[in-house]
Amino acid sequence: MISIDPQMEAALQTFFEESRDLLQDMESALLFMEESGADPERINAVFRAAHTIKGSAGLFGLEEVVRFTHCLENLLDRIRAGSTDLTPSRITLLLSCGDHIAEYLDKISVGAALDERFLAEDLRLLTALTEALGTTLPAPMSASVLKSEARPGPEVIPPGSVKTGNWHISLRFGVDTFRDGMDPLSFLRYLEQIGEIVGLVTLTDSLPPLAQMDAESCYLGFEISFKSDADKSQIADVFDFVKDSSTVHILPAHSQIGAYLQLIQQLPEADQHLGEILVSVGSLTEEELQKALALQDVGNQDGQHRPLGAILIAQKMVQEPVVQGALEKQQQQREQQVAERQMLRVRAADLDHLVNLVGELVIASAANSLFAMQDGAEDRVESAAHVARLVEEIRDGALHLRMIDVAEVFQRFPRVVRDMARTLGKDIRLEISGEGTELDKSMAEKITDPLMHLVRNAMDHGIESAERRRALGKPVQGCINLHACHDAGGIIIEVRDDGGGLNREKILNKAMEKGLITSEQTLGDREIYALIFAPGFSTADQVSDISGRGVGMDVVRQNIEAIRGSIEIHSTPDVGSTMRIRLPLTLSIIDGFLVKLATDTFVIPAESVEECLEYPERQGVPGYMELRDQPLPLLHLAGVFRIDGEAGKRRNVIVVRHGQHRVGMVVGAILGNQQTVIKPLGKLFDQVPGISAVTILGNGDVAPILDISALIHGHVSAKHIH
Amino acid sequence: MDMLPAGESTAQVGRWAGQYLIVQLQGESFGVDITVVREILAYLAPTQIPMMPDFVVGVINLRGQVVPVIDMARRFGRPATALHKRSCIIIVDLQEGESRQRLGVIVDAVNEVLEFSAEQIEPTPQFGAGLRTEFIRGMGKMGGQFMVLLEMARVLSMDEMAALATVMTGT
Repeated sequence: MISIDPQMEAALQTFFEESRDLLQDMESALLFMEESGADPERINAVFRAAHTIKGSAGLFGLEEVVRFTHCLENLLDRIRAGSTDLTPSRITLLLSCGDHIAEYLDKISVGAALDERFLAEDLRLLTALTEALGTTLPAPMSASVLKSEARPGPEVIPPGSVKTGNWHISLRFGVDTFRDGMDPLSFLRYLEQIGEIVGLVTLTDSLPPLAQMDAESCYLGFEISFKSDADKSQIADVFDFVKDSSTVHILPAHSQIGAYLQLIQQLPEADQHLGEILVSVGSLTEEELQKALALQDVGNQDGQHRPLGAILIAQKMVQEPVVQGALEKQQQQREQQVAERQMLRVRAADLDHLVNLVGELVIASAANSLFAMQDGAEDRVESAAHVARLVEEIRDGALHLRMIDVAEVFQRFPRVVRDMARTLGKDIRLEISGEGTELDKSMAEKITDPLMHLVRNAMDHGIESAERRRALGKPVQGCINLHACHDAGGIIIEVRDDGGGLNREKILNKAMEKGLITSEQTLGDREIYALIFAPGFSTADQVSDISGRGVGMDVVRQNIEAIRGSIEIHSTPDVGSTMRIRLPLTLSIIDGFLVKLATDTFVIPAESVEECLEYPERQGVPGYMELRDQPLPLLHLAGVFRIDGEAGKRRNVIVVRHGQHRVGMVVGAILGNQQTVIKPLGKLFDQVPGISAVTILGNGDVAPILDISALIHGHVSAKHIH
Repeated sequence: MDMLPAGESTAQVGRWAGQYLIVQLQGESFGVDITVVREILAYLAPTQIPMMPDFVVGVINLRGQVVPVIDMARRFGRPATALHKRSCIIIVDLQEGESRQRLGVIVDAVNEVLEFSAEQIEPTPQFGAGLRTEFIRGMGKMGGQFMVLLEMARVLSMDEMAALATVMTGT
């Protein structure tokens, strides 16, 4: 494997991250073009992505990546030049190449060995790329040759140009080159991949005396005579990463002597000295140097000063398009830099630490307010209230830092739907709505897999075959819709399909077969649909590659419940079904509603509390009370948790709702609302029914947080048994 | 579960040599390997978590961290530890597989720290200590007296306690 200098490690990590982003951009652009046809801007985006990855990989000496990306880039270059069409099959090939690079980078980042399957894929893609290149144009007509034809050919040397047919490159690396994580040597090495270094002189003129030398600074310059068929922008791209901090001059082959003169004048070293170097490198002959210096004297007498670009174009050193291309590139680079300055990359662990600290701060602030109240000194109470308000703002701000746009979760799906639709042989389109809805980053990570499962299920089982859709008078193209929105202190993510809906009878039969229900039970639609979340449940007649193994839906539900979410199903036969996932806004802090049971304090998540009532001492039917002419089932928490000493005291009823169920929880005193930080209970308490976690109250006491969903479901199923 | 066989060889016992925190529990002295003890707290009342097995007294707030508190006497199948002025909670950190678990243990008193050399540690007796043998690391000999050196990883085995909790809550 590649051994990496520890100093390069950080730079390498950045490279991995950026490459992943670039590959993602590449994929989006390709998918877009597949949908709406090729467009130059996106082709360019794809090319840029591949090119940047290649360049950076070269810097880190990741030869394999460079080699592969180089082939990819060749094809892209042709497509960009218009000599090769972007056919759907090529898009598929390019997508696979993107995946392949991503996999390769993943392997490097974890230090995994390249297995046989990977190498086979590598070979397959390279062959495919070569074929794509080979079949379009006869060999010598490659795009780069076409471009370079514009410059004077070696046979016809215009008068006034130097004899040598080599490029001349003049490099002065910036002082900070090493500090920026670059190594001049890797640039030279990379340069050799597009041509041959004929002559090279290292300039040490700017090296300070040893005592003043800073070991981390770069003082080196190089004059290089370079033989290559590459065009100017390709050579310039080699130095893309240092071009802002370093001075790079590139003179094309057979440049006018004036251009060399201009170069000599621009460089910091003494003219005569530099001239000699140019001769020794082989870019100029002795005579040419003399001529140049003579020209310089004339120029000096005239006192003329023209900008280099103007001279270059006037002397036809560089072609107009090259300059144009360079300008555009600069513009893009500038825009990118601005965008980077607006965003800041932060390590997720640092952020988690900050949010944890803010959690502690919330607790400490609650304690502070409490003590101030006990003291009763007005100015203390006031200042505590002020602190509490600020802490609340800090908390909101800190939590917001962890929020990401749901679009980031959704962005993987166009590709998944595309690939799967092909595998299934179905025509399915994906619609995404509700971008801009934000959710906690850790939640986003945990919801992706369940969503993936639901989308796959909807495509495989939901969307009918084309024939069936035609028979039903539906559009042949099926549609999957991913939607997100905020709703009452939570987030809702929906996976909708316009397929056949869930088959009620099939689910019932299967459930009976599996012994999940008995034939006497009468179940509502909602309960029947909920059966598909039972472990090992699958109604697919045919187990396909994609789904139908029955390991799916129960895992989906578990994963969602693990982040305190819930899922419900709506389905209409032949119209489609909707899986609605409801998630809390954050994972770590909730609004708690504090109640007493005997002497213990318990926290009910405020989002599920609907109203508070006084406990009616006289009840018609035991276990129920009347709430606006509707029976409300009652749940005596003290009874559930086997806590004594509750009877006889004044009691209250908290009406809580989860999904469609509403239950009245009988508790002791009501203590009111408080921001609470969720602390996981750990393995020992995994199995406590009805308690999801604990929190630390303002006075330092620990209080259990009730798991409303489990309590209600436990209560409902207990009712079924009796 | 790979239980330590009772009556293991002296060579094996030798590696248990070191410092032990001597705690008092219902009139009996026990040695707790000092390397797992993080700190000793004056007793503070834990918050009860409903429907837990009787050996789980509750949870305490240890500077913002929620730590379960175990009544070791109950784990030994003895009556619950009565609370008094010298009662304290020792906080131990146990490594179990990949995860590290922090737990509190109620004891009647903390006496001293004693150093046991390999020669002062006898293999676990087959019976007669009144404890499950896998809870015992060995018998420490000090001034003609024997005391049980506890195998805390076993006494406070998360896997076992969680399994017991599951059985007792009936889920």
